[in-house]
Amino acid sequence: MRITRRDLSRATLAGLAAAPLARPALAQTEAVRIGWLAAMTGPSSAPAIGFNRGVLFAANALNADGGVKGRKIEIITRDTQGDPTKAVNATQEMISQAKVHAIWGPTNSGESLAVTAIMARAKMPNIHPCVVDQLIDTRRYPNAFRTAPSNGQWDDAVRAYCLNVLKVRKVAVIGDTTGYGVSAVKASVAAFQKDGAEVVYQANIDATQPDMTPDMLRARNAGTEAIIIWSVSTGMEARLFNTRGNMGWDVPFVGHPSMASGEIGGLLSRPANWEKVFAIGYKSCSYGADGNLPAKSQELVSRLQGKVALDDTLLWWVAAGVDAVNLIAGAVEATGSSSNEAIIRHWNSLTKHAGYFGTYSFTPDEHNGYPTEEVVMSAANTAKHGAFALAPGYG
Amino acid sequence: MLASILASGLAVGAIYALIGITYNTMFATSRVMSFTAGQLGMLGGVFGSLFILQFQLPVLPGLALTLLAAAAIGVVTEFVAVRPVLKSLDQHLYVLSTLALALMIQQVTAIEWSTEPRPFPRLLELTTAHGPWDQKYWLPVVACAVTILGLEYLYKRTLVGRAFVAVAEDNFAARALGLPERNLRVASYALAGAIGALAGFSGGQLLLAFFANGPLLNFYGFIPVALGGLGNNRGAVIGGLALGLFQQAANFTVGGIFSSVAVFTLFIIILLAAPQGLFGAAPQRRV
Repeated sequence: MRITRRDLSRATLAGLAAAPLARPALAQTEAVRIGWLAAMTGPSSAPAIGFNRGVLFAANALNADGGVKGRKIEIITRDTQGDPTKAVNATQEMISQAKVHAIWGPTNSGESLAVTAIMARAKMPNIHPCVVDQLIDTRRYPNAFRTAPSNGQWDDAVRAYCLNVLKVRKVAVIGDTTGYGVSAVKASVAAFQKDGAEVVYQANIDATQPDMTPDMLRARNAGTEAIIIWSVSTGMEARLFNTRGNMGWDVPFVGHPSMASGEIGGLLSRPANWEKVFAIGYKSCSYGADGNLPAKSQELVSRLQGKVALDDTLLWWVAAGVDAVNLIAGAVEATGSSSNEAIIRHWNSLTKHAGYFGTYSFTPDEHNGYPTEEVVMSAANTAKHGAFALAPGYG
Repeated sequence: MLASILASGLAVGAIYALIGITYNTMFATSRVMSFTAGQLGMLGGVFGSLFILQFQLPVLPGLALTLLAAAAIGVVTEFVAVRPVLKSLDQHLYVLSTLALALMIQQVTAIEWSTEPRPFPRLLELTTAHGPWDQKYWLPVVACAVTILGLEYLYKRTLVGRAFVAVAEDNFAARALGLPERNLRVASYALAGAIGALAGFSGGQLLLAFFANGPLLNFYGFIPVALGGLGNNRGAVIGGLALGLFQQAANFTVGGIFSSVAVFTLFIIILLAAPQGLFGAAPQRRV
């Protein structure tokens, strides 16, 4: 058969006319693409490695069950190495080239501060676990949702434990000299004073300072009943614990989750120096007085058994990774759409949505979805399979 | 409190003094202030922890291997960051080359070792001494004393040491006399590497095996050099110990952040009063 130019033009026009009809069919079958901005290597890679285990586990589990409305879950991971510049590049690539439907991460605040506005411009649905308060602003970033506590919530939980459980009124607040340490100490001091407590000593200590005796002596002489720590420096924290032990002082330390880091164990001159150290933890990932995890968490641990290692990571990182994928998949499932608007609208309507890491609630005006009452204190030296025992005082 | 100030002040002061001597040793034969000095101190702690805790070697072989490894890095410094810029010393390109190498050492350590501080072993099986008499306080002081005595012996009683001094005094004249100036310079960088590592090793229980110790030691190790006079090891020791004591006293009285301010304020005041350092000779102008 001879094909004329006219035939070719007609066929092209017909094809173009039919294209809009074919698009919904394509949307029904294309994979749900989840961008995962993960600092898998570099200085702050430990959390991302844990999150990643949860992400892959959840995606595999969903795909094994047939996906979401017949659509496979595709995880598109980019290693940002903890570098904000790389995170920016990866975000732009995910939005413009990989055309992901939602992004999980980044998982540290420095990177998140760099990419949040970019995602907002693209109206990209984004969930992240970063603690810096400014990252959540429903007016400027209506697309960004937080599935872990903010700094403010950590602060509230620490203060509540000190004032209501330990029943102390005189506290010392100590941080390192990083931007985080300085701002966290300032906020913590103001909040304690607002609640009627007396901040008898406050300091920002260089994390490499070899001897903590001066600050600890000053804190003791000021009548400190509990020391609040805001730092991610395990070396500084271990030195503080060792100094307390050398002084024969039994003041409790309360504060940042890094005080429960496994690395601290090797830096202590005596294991007993880690007693009475209460680090921020989460109810969902804490052993109760009976030595058991909450039922839902136990169910997750049973599912993870033999598939995901928990001994060298934290359970909450894995659980939060699982929840992230499930939240995105849940939005597509509930709305039948993977459009930006549908996913964001669905998240805005979630009330007490039970995940493994937390019970999330979002509204159009509140994107801090993690409930403060689920932030608890853990006994820092009780790590077992990535979870900790609740600190004394919880019923 | 006084005992604490003395114990930890002398300990960190001795570490600073040893880093100061590291600067001086490298400077003597090359006229280059190599900013790898602090990193050599940091590596002393990291290698010590690696050999003794990770490889389970006894303390003495661990120390020997640490010093050897750091000496090798000292030699690499001479080849990579110093030799290429010696011909243009007046352009101070060594600042860039040695800082670049120092940064590389720090980054490689962070990647290969850890970004978190790791434990350093107890070096001596002593259980009786606690508090200010703990070994972590007096070991750096002993290491500093041994080093300065050893260097005095080397420079005054041995042929190699006298050759070092000759190159330090006038390398052109030394070369004209047939001294192997280049080899002596390489040897002095190896020696500096070992001294820097000894600082980190003897102070490892205080500083831990931590990649971020490098910049700290670079900074505070430079002050004894400036205070004591460039190239003056005795001045570096006195300057280092004084710095450590002053810093600790400031830590106790005004607190961590302000103690750094106090240290640098005093440093600037001293340099304004005595630009050549407290123990340095005023520069002679040839006419």
